Amino acid sequence: MNSEPTSLLQGTLDLLILKSLIAGEMHGLGVSRRIQQITGGTFVVKPGSLFPALHRMEEEGWISSFWGESENNRRAKYYRLTKAGRKQLEVETKRWGRISWAIAQALEVS
Amino acid sequence: MPLLVKVRSFLRNLFSFRRVEGDLDQEVHSHLEMLTEENIRSGMQPKDARRAARIELGGIEQVKEQVREERLGNWLPSVISDCRYGVRQLRKNPSFTAVAVLTLALGIGATTSIFSVVYGVLLRPLPYPDPNRIMAVFEVTSKGRPSRVADPNFDDFRDQSRSFQAIAKYNDNVASVSGASQPTRTTVAGVSPDFLKVFGIQPILGRDFDASDAKKGAGPTVLVSYGYWKQQLGSPRDLSQSHLKIDSAVFSVIGVLPAGFRFPADVDLWLPADLDGENPSRTSHNYNAAGRLRDGVTVEQANQDISVIARRIHDTSSEQGDYLLKDGIVLPLQDSITGKARTALLVLLGAVGFLLLVACANVANLLLAQASVRERELAIRSALGAARGRLIRQFLTEAFLLSLGGGGLGVLGALWGVAGLVALAPANLPRLESVSISIPVLVFAFLLSTAIAAGLGAFTAARATSGDLREGLVEGARGQAGSQGSQRVGRVIVVAQIAITLVLVVGAGLFGRSLMKVLEVNPGFRVDKIVTMGVSLPWVDDPKAKAGQGIFFSNLIERLKQIPGVRKVGATSGLPMNQDGGLPDGMFLLMAENEIPKTMDGFGALLQQKERIGIADFCVATDGYFQVLGIPLIRGRIFDERDGANSPHVAVISEALARDRWPNQDPLGHTIEFGNMDGDLRLLTIVGIVGDIHEYGLDTPPRPTVYVNLFQRPRAATTLTMLGDADTRLVASAARGILQDLNPEIPARFRTFSQVYSASLGSRRFNVILIGFFGITALLLATTGVFGVMAYSVSRRTREIGVRVALGAATGDVLKMILGQGLRTVFIGVAIGITGSLVLTRTVESMLFGVTATDPLTFGGVTLLVVGAALMACYIPARRATKVDPMVALRYE
Repeated sequence: MNSEPTSLLQGTLDLLILKSLIAGEMHGLGVSRRIQQITGGTFVVKPGSLFPALHRMEEEGWISSFWGESENNRRAKYYRLTKAGRKQLEVETKRWGRISWAIAQALEVS
Repeated sequence: MPLLVKVRSFLRNLFSFRRVEGDLDQEVHSHLEMLTEENIRSGMQPKDARRAARIELGGIEQVKEQVREERLGNWLPSVISDCRYGVRQLRKNPSFTAVAVLTLALGIGATTSIFSVVYGVLLRPLPYPDPNRIMAVFEVTSKGRPSRVADPNFDDFRDQSRSFQAIAKYNDNVASVSGASQPTRTTVAGVSPDFLKVFGIQPILGRDFDASDAKKGAGPTVLVSYGYWKQQLGSPRDLSQSHLKIDSAVFSVIGVLPAGFRFPADVDLWLPADLDGENPSRTSHNYNAAGRLRDGVTVEQANQDISVIARRIHDTSSEQGDYLLKDGIVLPLQDSITGKARTALLVLLGAVGFLLLVACANVANLLLAQASVRERELAIRSALGAARGRLIRQFLTEAFLLSLGGGGLGVLGALWGVAGLVALAPANLPRLESVSISIPVLVFAFLLSTAIAAGLGAFTAARATSGDLREGLVEGARGQAGSQGSQRVGRVIVVAQIAITLVLVVGAGLFGRSLMKVLEVNPGFRVDKIVTMGVSLPWVDDPKAKAGQGIFFSNLIERLKQIPGVRKVGATSGLPMNQDGGLPDGMFLLMAENEIPKTMDGFGALLQQKERIGIADFCVATDGYFQVLGIPLIRGRIFDERDGANSPHVAVISEALARDRWPNQDPLGHTIEFGNMDGDLRLLTIVGIVGDIHEYGLDTPPRPTVYVNLFQRPRAATTLTMLGDADTRLVASAARGILQDLNPEIPARFRTFSQVYSASLGSRRFNVILIGFFGITALLLATTGVFGVMAYSVSRRTREIGVRVALGAATGDVLKMILGQGLRTVFIGVAIGITGSLVLTRTVESMLFGVTATDPLTFGGVTLLVVGAALMACYIPARRATKVDPMVALRYE
């Protein structure tokens, strides 16, 4: 994924992070790999985009963080969804639905 | 809830900065480790795995910086760190910082000082409720100028207009007041009953005037200022025992006005106008008028209203002639008070603005040179993850530090500057008491500093961060291309500086030449060694009492002549150059010898015969007055012993009047009637012609004047003039003693005539001193600007010059090359400056005297001066360039 921050992509990144965290708590690299996996490799989120987004979303209160152990016994910062985050995921999902529907409509017009 | 989370994050970012940073550092590092492990698991060599992980991460510091940028309230710590870094930068270059801050302080300080005068005089609202509803009402003369109002005209304005909730007339004069403590000369206003209602104020003690106070023959009443009540009356709560003897009548004090109310300026006592009845003439303009607009009425509507009434008076009055009003006009009171000072103050503000621009240009050039030295630093910071925006912010921060430092120092300097300006300001500048460093002035200074900071910061940031910063990292690179560009910008700045400076110095030159031309004018009288003494006796109407005053002055003059060292003594009703108002002027009539109008009405009827009319100023004087001031007798004689109170009355006229009224004729022996000036209808026989004098200032042409003899036409308010070699203080105290001896109730005011004369040049001197100071300062700044740019350019070109010398360039060639480059810049600046001056000096044309706005001498001289100064500033670096040793220069790289 390009790190160029247009508002559409910005919203998309938030949505993808929220969506991947619904599967449970994970660290930054985990989120990144999860996104890669659920989008079938279409989006590769670079740390330069990922970390600012995670920190921003934490400040928004959508996700919370704690220090935990990674699968290789390494100290890593884990993120999990908060209640506000679940609500935000719903909002973002609806919004995205509207946008994609609208874009699809637009493209169908000959 | 989310708000709470945000606040918590904000506070954590702010106060647990270290922990937040530590967490971030660990997080990014553990991310890197995990990436590496992932790569190793997928079969890479550990070294390759680490490298691939780093590439994917894209730089630890960059990532961290990107996270920081996203942080809530991230601006605060980064602003603080920018400031800290900025202060460190500035301290590393103390001489650069000092020069930049002081230059800005000079510019901002000077601008703030002038602005505080402009604000105090022109902008600060008058200190009354709804000041913008208070209007001045004027008649418009047949020449189209606004003038004071005559009593019956004012009455018509008051009774027929519908635009004002209150309208009042007022005038002021100096009276001797006793009964409080010492007899003093106090400024007293005569006002109509609604005066305080116009200003929307009420007495803090006692009562306002009502209609009964203004009736003819009413018991005299007076309102006093707060200061007068405290200092002269001893602040009694009960006013019933307070009485003041003003001139010859005793007045009961009925009210005290609020502190700070003094309108007209310097007035301490307000009396009802016309206690002796109104003057029925529609052409005796004795009062100012002011009104408060009714709610919803615009200035324009009020203007229409008054204009209609005025034109009706013009059409129907029996007193047709040049002195009858033609129209009426309504102006906001504040504008009418400050109108004359406006142009001069705005010119000063413009001039100081130019100085500020020149100062800012110097600082911009300094910053530019500074920025090119810092190319390497910028490259490193950008490689370490600083975004371009962050670098721009750094420049802005530094510019803010410089400007606010300069602004702070400038305001401190302005405290001193304003005190100096107030001391230097001409006495006729209105509202000087409201000039101070007030809150709006401070806000102005702050906004000005901020604007300068934004300008300078944006400018340097744009220059410094253009192009690829990373080039600065290349070993040995001198950023030649970039610095070529910045040198070009530097030269453009210098061109602007020279152009602006030239305009300023041309302005200063024109004002200076005007002052010189004014001083060359022969005033028509002597100035030195004259002590003046203002005396006002009580105003009287009765002919017998008047005659008594004539005798009083005659005795006084005889006694004053006895003072040791005093050679001659005279008296006059109007001291030349005195800015207190000047002589009354009016129409007189040519009469046959035995023809005497019996009444003022008869006089009015004769005024219809145009061929009899003459116009002149009316001055009451003694023979000694002409001798003391050295006003030459042209023909005939001046007053002497023959002209007693009961002998035929005589007049002496000025050359200008002789020329105007009796061209190709001998005025001597003609008789005139000028009784409309003092109520005495006896004819005056012209016995002499004296030289013209510039009564109203050297820059105003002499006016036709009729002089009458004080001993025949006594007058209450008179200025005595004493010529002598004795010490002026001794003369003054001796004269005071004599006056005390003759009448202890009469106060006097002493000044030397040279003080009066010098004060009349005050406005011009003020302008010349200030604009001259701004011009010289700008010239110095511009010269250092030229020097700086040239010196910098030479140091940049050391190697090139070395190569040229090594290839055989002679000293002269190098000198010519560098000077040529400098002079091109200077000449472009001068050309623009001259063009600009030609346009701009037109705006000050009305303030010049004896020179045109395009005076070639001034333009030529100033151009030479500016080119000379700039040439010197170019020559020193050019000299240095010729000293370049090619071997050293080439090895240097």
